[in-house]
Amino acid sequence: MGKQIDLLQGTLDMLILKAVSLGPLHGYGVLLRIQQISGEQLEIQQGSLYPALYRLEHQGWITSEWGESDNKRKAKFYRLTAAGRRQFLSETEKWNRMAALIAGILRTTSEEI
Amino acid sequence: MKLFARIRSWLTWMVKRSQQENAMEVEVRFHIESYAADLVRSGVPQPEAMRRARIEFGGVESHKDAIRASLGLRWWDDLWIDLRYAARKLHNSPGFTLTAVLVLAIGIGVNVAAFSVFNLIVLKSLPVRDPDSLIRLQRRSPENIVGQMPYPSVVFYREHTKTLSAVMVTMGTRMEFEGDVQPMSANFVTANYFTELGTSAAYGRVLDPAREDRADAAPAVVLSFGFWQRRFGGDPSIVGRIIHLNKKAATVVGVTPFAFATLGAQYPDVWLPMTQQVYFVEGSKVLTDASAGSVEMWGRLAPGVTAQVAEQELLALTNELRKQHPKDIWDHEFIKTDPAGHIQVMKPEMYLVLAMVGALTLLILAVACANLGGLLLARGVTREHEIEIRVAIGASRQRIFRQLFTESLLLALLGSVAGLVLGFVVLRMTLVMIEAPAWTSAAPDWRVFLFALGMALATAIFFGLAPAWHIARQRQRKTIARQLLVGAQVAASCVLLIVAGLLVRATQHVMYTDPGFGYEQAISIDPGLASHGYTPTAARTYLNEFENRLRAVPGVASVSLSRMSPLGITVSFMTVDILGRQVNIYPNWVGPEFFQTMSIPLLRGRGLLPGELGAVVVSESLARKQWPGEDPLGKQFWQKDRVVGVAGNARLNAMNDGDTVEAYWAAQAADMPAMTLVVKTAAAPEGVPLMVKSIAASIDPKLFPYIRLLKADFHKNVQQVEQAAMVVSLLGIVALMLAAIGLLGLVAYAVSERTKEIAIRIALGARPSHVMVVILRQFVWPVAFGLLAGVAGTVALSQFLRRVLFGISNLDPTGYLGGIAVLIAIATVAALLPASRALRVDPMRALHCE
Repeated sequence: MGKQIDLLQGTLDMLILKAVSLGPLHGYGVLLRIQQISGEQLEIQQGSLYPALYRLEHQGWITSEWGESDNKRKAKFYRLTAAGRRQFLSETEKWNRMAALIAGILRTTSEEI
Repeated sequence: MKLFARIRSWLTWMVKRSQQENAMEVEVRFHIESYAADLVRSGVPQPEAMRRARIEFGGVESHKDAIRASLGLRWWDDLWIDLRYAARKLHNSPGFTLTAVLVLAIGIGVNVAAFSVFNLIVLKSLPVRDPDSLIRLQRRSPENIVGQMPYPSVVFYREHTKTLSAVMVTMGTRMEFEGDVQPMSANFVTANYFTELGTSAAYGRVLDPAREDRADAAPAVVLSFGFWQRRFGGDPSIVGRIIHLNKKAATVVGVTPFAFATLGAQYPDVWLPMTQQVYFVEGSKVLTDASAGSVEMWGRLAPGVTAQVAEQELLALTNELRKQHPKDIWDHEFIKTDPAGHIQVMKPEMYLVLAMVGALTLLILAVACANLGGLLLARGVTREHEIEIRVAIGASRQRIFRQLFTESLLLALLGSVAGLVLGFVVLRMTLVMIEAPAWTSAAPDWRVFLFALGMALATAIFFGLAPAWHIARQRQRKTIARQLLVGAQVAASCVLLIVAGLLVRATQHVMYTDPGFGYEQAISIDPGLASHGYTPTAARTYLNEFENRLRAVPGVASVSLSRMSPLGITVSFMTVDILGRQVNIYPNWVGPEFFQTMSIPLLRGRGLLPGELGAVVVSESLARKQWPGEDPLGKQFWQKDRVVGVAGNARLNAMNDGDTVEAYWAAQAADMPAMTLVVKTAAAPEGVPLMVKSIAASIDPKLFPYIRLLKADFHKNVQQVEQAAMVVSLLGIVALMLAAIGLLGLVAYAVSERTKEIAIRIALGARPSHVMVVILRQFVWPVAFGLLAGVAGTVALSQFLRRVLFGISNLDPTGYLGGIAVLIAIATVAALLPASRALRVDPMRALHCE
């Protein structure tokens, strides 16, 4: 557990959008997918996933419908909407720019100033 | 797009709340059970797996709450809880609730009624076809404002305009009906009048442009619904029958509907085609005379045309018209348009009256709010315990404040509903009293509902915000809030009482003082010579004959000519700058016996000789204003006229306006067609009109003089002021009652708050008078400041009242002192009543209570 990283503020939304962009998922599935693609590195408090999911749906970026899970149970599946895809792309771009910028700053050595 | 998605999701949650909550529950359970199943698969025993799954998920309820908060539902949930709690609280104290709702209902109801009147006059459209494009057109120039236009000019505009899709003309007049002494009212209108308004007849037909626009059409008359009911008992077979107007036969073609909406709120007894005006009024030159304004012009803007564009085009046409009639068009003349799609074409001074009424009714609301604020503060003390407990178990100040304010909001809404009902009743009574047109209705429309809702919010903020804040912070013991409330209430009721006092004084003044002229035994006769095309010479002969015949009638004391008919509809005045002040001078051109006939005393000098030039008689107040402290006789006035006499003040044509003055000149030959007659009888004048009528018929049967007993018009005039005084007095009394209740409550509250202190003082032997002073001291200054502010406010506000005060000054000391005295008396009683209770406190019991 000690090696896991805490989530940065505001990144959970982006991770959820990424997870459902790969295909419709139910809430638990979203959690599993994020853990899977992060290589089990991220710690997400399970329950806090839901307020984020509902908020994203409220904003119209994901949409949900009831379906059947792998174990033949009724479950709510989330899917990215067109608006959600646009939002995800712009968030991704912003994130990459920011990450590159911060990385650049951190690489700076005393000779370069 | 995003907003749309949010609204949709929010609505789903609002409407299908329980279904959504269930789904949330199912989803959370699915998550936990799936996780548990995975744990079991990885070797954890079943009960332990469920336990771990639950722990790792976290608090289910707090996550659910977070979900609700993320959807913006928390706010509504809290509101709903607060509302239910508030309803329960109000239900548990019916006495307080009833008082509060009643106070608010009065405050809001008065405002709703006032707004409804404003709505009816200014905002509501006439129920006619396309009311927004209807306009009234009037001649203007920098020097002149005239409502009437020459008919030939209207025809010229109608033939050449492209910005108006229709032009209508109305001309109100009086006519004789089947030999009656009392004339009936008639409107001549262009035949398109009814079709343009989209009105069809209740029976028969209305005027038809295809028929009645032709000059050779058979004489037709359309009866008004009311006249048809009164004179023909609502007999439908009237259509097609012949009736006689001014002794001319005309066929009744139809009856207007009961709820007929007309332009400019004109409701005559009958409607006649304009083209037949000459037939009914023999000798009339209205249709051909391009110099005299006689008809009102109305129009309809063509589709897509604004009033400005139309005014520009009409200005060009006016300049064109000047080439044809150079003498009849003023310099810089233009046509002014006003929207006519409402019950009244508004004049600037009417807005002033409305603003005045609005200010007074808002004052009542201010008193009501201040009053309730006091009640709520007092109530805060009794709820101290409850709030302390809520704070102790973790409620935030904001949350308590919000809950208290929700309570005020609920009260305000209840008050608003009651106010709507009260406003409806008041408006209904008003409409009946002023005989409003039948199409008007007192039922509130969406604007009134919106206004009432706005009033509820505003009052909730006014009376609820400050007390809620104070109570939530548990600082309600501050006396400053209480003192402010008392001051505000006293100030507002002070204004209302003084205004009421002034109006009552004005009414008394009119009823119990001499108006300056004799109206009890005076008769006015308007033969209408000009409208029948009389020349000055013919008019002179006619008037001579009439005067001589009248003098021979037994009971007639004296007869004179007067250009302006006393208390008549036609009024003319000139605004003159006298020693830096604007003064309205009412001119009149009179015969030699005028002062004697009207019983106006000649104070100095002499009267006017017949046809005398270069001489003027001025009223006493004019002399005083123009030549203060000097002898006016022999002075130059106006265009080098010499003052030959000074007459008593007699506001024949502006009874209500105490600022006006009069000037009299001798009537000239050219004035003769415009002249009216005044008659003074030796005894009661009631029998004389019939004789006057038969004399008129024998001199010229074409004429139908308008004969009025001046005392009837005088009383009508006084009655209007009486009504206004009554309404304002009523408002004043309501405000006073509210203020008294409020003060009573606040003093009682102050007493109850200090019972222990008072008991100790009494136990230690304080004198009752001293205890009284201690309690009441904190209210003396607020009342004094309130009075001062109120008097200052009234001085400012009453400037607008001058015109209706019948010569009473708007700073009349009696009115002011009266208002203040009543207020102080009531305030004293309201303060002493609960304070005296404090003196009867039994020290032992009061101290044991704690």
